[in-house]
Amino acid sequence: MTAQPVPAVGGVAVPASTPGEDLLEVRDLKVWFPITEGMVRERHVGDVRAVDGVSFTLRRGETLGLVGESGCGKSTTGRAIVRLNRPTGGSILFDGQDISTVEGAELRRLRRRFQMIFQDPYASLDPRSTAGGTIGEPLEVHNVGTKAERREKVRDLLATVGLNPDYGNRYPHEFSGGQRQRIGVARALALDPDLIVADEPISALDVSIQAQVINLLERLQERLGLTYLFIAHDLSVVRHISDRIAVMYLGRIVELAPSRELNQRPLHPYSVALLSAVPIPDPKVERRRRRIILRGDVPSPVNPPSGCHFHTRCWLREQKGNPERCSAEIPLLRTLSTGHEVACHFAEDVDGSREQIQSTGRGAAGTVPGAAGWTAIPGAAGTGTEAYEDPLIEDGPLPDVQLIPDASMLLDMPDTRPVYPPRSDEA
Amino acid sequence: MTAVRAVVPEPLLEVRDLLVRFRTHDGTIYAVNGVGFELGRGERLGLVGESGCGKSVTNLAIIRLLPKPAGRIEGGQVLFDGQDLVQLTESELREIRGRDIAMIFQDPMTSLNPVLTVEEQMIETIQAHKKQSKNEARARAVELLGMVGIPQPEKRLKAYPHQFSGGMRQRVMIAMALALQPKLMIADEPTTALDVTIQAQVLELISRLTTETGTSLVLITHDLGVVAGMTDRINVMYAGFIVETATTGDLFERPSHPYTVGLLHSMPRVDAREGEPLIPIEGRPPDMRREPTGCPFAPRCAWRVEVCWSENPSLAPLAAGERIVMTGPSASHRIACHNPPLPDEAELGRPTREGHVPAAAPEGEADELASLAAIADGVA
Repeated sequence: MTAQPVPAVGGVAVPASTPGEDLLEVRDLKVWFPITEGMVRERHVGDVRAVDGVSFTLRRGETLGLVGESGCGKSTTGRAIVRLNRPTGGSILFDGQDISTVEGAELRRLRRRFQMIFQDPYASLDPRSTAGGTIGEPLEVHNVGTKAERREKVRDLLATVGLNPDYGNRYPHEFSGGQRQRIGVARALALDPDLIVADEPISALDVSIQAQVINLLERLQERLGLTYLFIAHDLSVVRHISDRIAVMYLGRIVELAPSRELNQRPLHPYSVALLSAVPIPDPKVERRRRRIILRGDVPSPVNPPSGCHFHTRCWLREQKGNPERCSAEIPLLRTLSTGHEVACHFAEDVDGSREQIQSTGRGAAGTVPGAAGWTAIPGAAGTGTEAYEDPLIEDGPLPDVQLIPDASMLLDMPDTRPVYPPRSDEA
Repeated sequence: MTAVRAVVPEPLLEVRDLLVRFRTHDGTIYAVNGVGFELGRGERLGLVGESGCGKSVTNLAIIRLLPKPAGRIEGGQVLFDGQDLVQLTESELREIRGRDIAMIFQDPMTSLNPVLTVEEQMIETIQAHKKQSKNEARARAVELLGMVGIPQPEKRLKAYPHQFSGGMRQRVMIAMALALQPKLMIADEPTTALDVTIQAQVLELISRLTTETGTSLVLITHDLGVVAGMTDRINVMYAGFIVETATTGDLFERPSHPYTVGLLHSMPRVDAREGEPLIPIEGRPPDMRREPTGCPFAPRCAWRVEVCWSENPSLAPLAAGERIVMTGPSASHRIACHNPPLPDEAELGRPTREGHVPAAAPEGEADELASLAAIADGVA
């Protein structure tokens, strides 16, 4: 199969942006679900604030991972972007056009360009439709090609996702979980979309099959120049596939950073806790790590905590003697180093802390804060196994960590550190 | 978590040649095919494998809770504290379940009774095995809930299961499991339904409580990350067989069965090096309706040789002729493989020896590697 540009529909030329450009820009996205009471006359008594002011951009050809625990709003964000939910507020610019309020035929026309892959390959396929029927359905709906051309395209798509092209006549129950997920991928690819929102595409699969599907998604991205919004709860999977990662907590993005940076130098207390909780299949590393055990459960999004949503469970706030600012003032995303944004009033204190270092078990000291602000992590690239040799044994002495000398002072001062234009040196 | 635990030589649990079959309309399912292992007192054992590998069925067979009438133990022994559980009557078993062997299952919502308060359920459990008044039992229940970290235990005791979150329900299950100070706790995917930060809470709790009480633990999971930090020893299962068994340290230090190697390479790790590729295990899990002939992993194995198709290898020590130690920190590292990966191949995740070609499948055998290659050729 070759990646063809989507043919113009209805005489409207589709603007073709080039790789590296922003394909998607989400600004202050809000998705609230109303709670009503009363049988006859429904009264609006509150809202589930599933997504509460989320902003990010996605460049063409890039993979952005959206990670968080259940109920954090990551799936709702994804569904709002492909317009399966109607946003309550904010805007979604897709290739320059605001799609947050588009409806009807216009929306259907645009949908060709963004598709979704769902989590459960058992529930997302029609059991009474053959694989070929399921994959070809989008082509029919959008009236692409003749019947014979469509049949040929379905065979192409089956082969593209690593299935036998002759399997088009089989029904979903004849396939294994991994094969079904491949059918879901093929269907998403049918209309040559630009953007694919993958919502937990591998969580329902067995470990050995997960890698097959991840590799398939990566290969397809390379070949077809796809852009992914990859939603998952598993930080290790997200880390593997994403260029950048956004961590969500209770409807907001708390940290947004390049993938490696987030895993080696998380700067939000929640990201640190999340990272520390991911088990690593290596007992030697596990012994060196210390989990940050968060107390209690995620609060209800109906009545989220004031100020920083995380302040009720935050280990850093506790360490700092519960400063009032955390519960009084909503922390906004601040850029702390190139492309690394954090929504925490005290993010500077996270850097170089024991918690940050022990969360990965690497024991590498991480940062050497320079006078002008932040420096890159020394020797971060490819230090994988060497770092394991660090003699950081549980209960043993910890390596000396250089803390930011006057972090508290920094907080009282207006922020004069250079703010880099986002991603200037990456493109 | 790290201290080496003293293990008394006499095992608490000894499973010998366990055979479990399910007779269904679709034919016989060969769920567990001659599994044997031992568990020392205070030892923590991990059973690792993917869905359908027989790890949960092994557990259900041990406590004789196989779904009836389809599931049957068709051979083998389960010696617990010297008693063969396979031969016991149902009433004798009921004494042992709960009191000596406690279980925690994946989904706490389905294992708690939704129409009874936690109080009623806990008191029932305690009184079923111990002659205690209702007040004594209630006091014990409060104590247990406090122990597993449930705030305001007196108040929460009156709540129904649906009023707890998933993590809290699992804590209630752990409290009930530990109510009678069992000798053995079997936890079947105890954290799979939970979020990762809640998983960390629950694992820490299980780890702390079993260590404090000296309870032996069998932890069943598909997640190699979870067993790495939680167990002393691991059995890796595939298609109803144990294919590799070793102490946790040895297993990760030198994974030696192609399946274990494959599992480790198909999982992304948060601490992986940049750009490290995943090497999936190709093909599909085996059809358990077929009676195994050769090595069950052969159709998906890149290291397979001719004999793998005809002969199922038995578990043997890595070092030939070594005396076999079944439990404890010096337990033998054993694998069931005719042509095990060399250490550097295990590191890389694929065979590198010169001239090695996976042996072709005989007539009538599914060859997952070949069918995959054929599709790839047809497209690329």
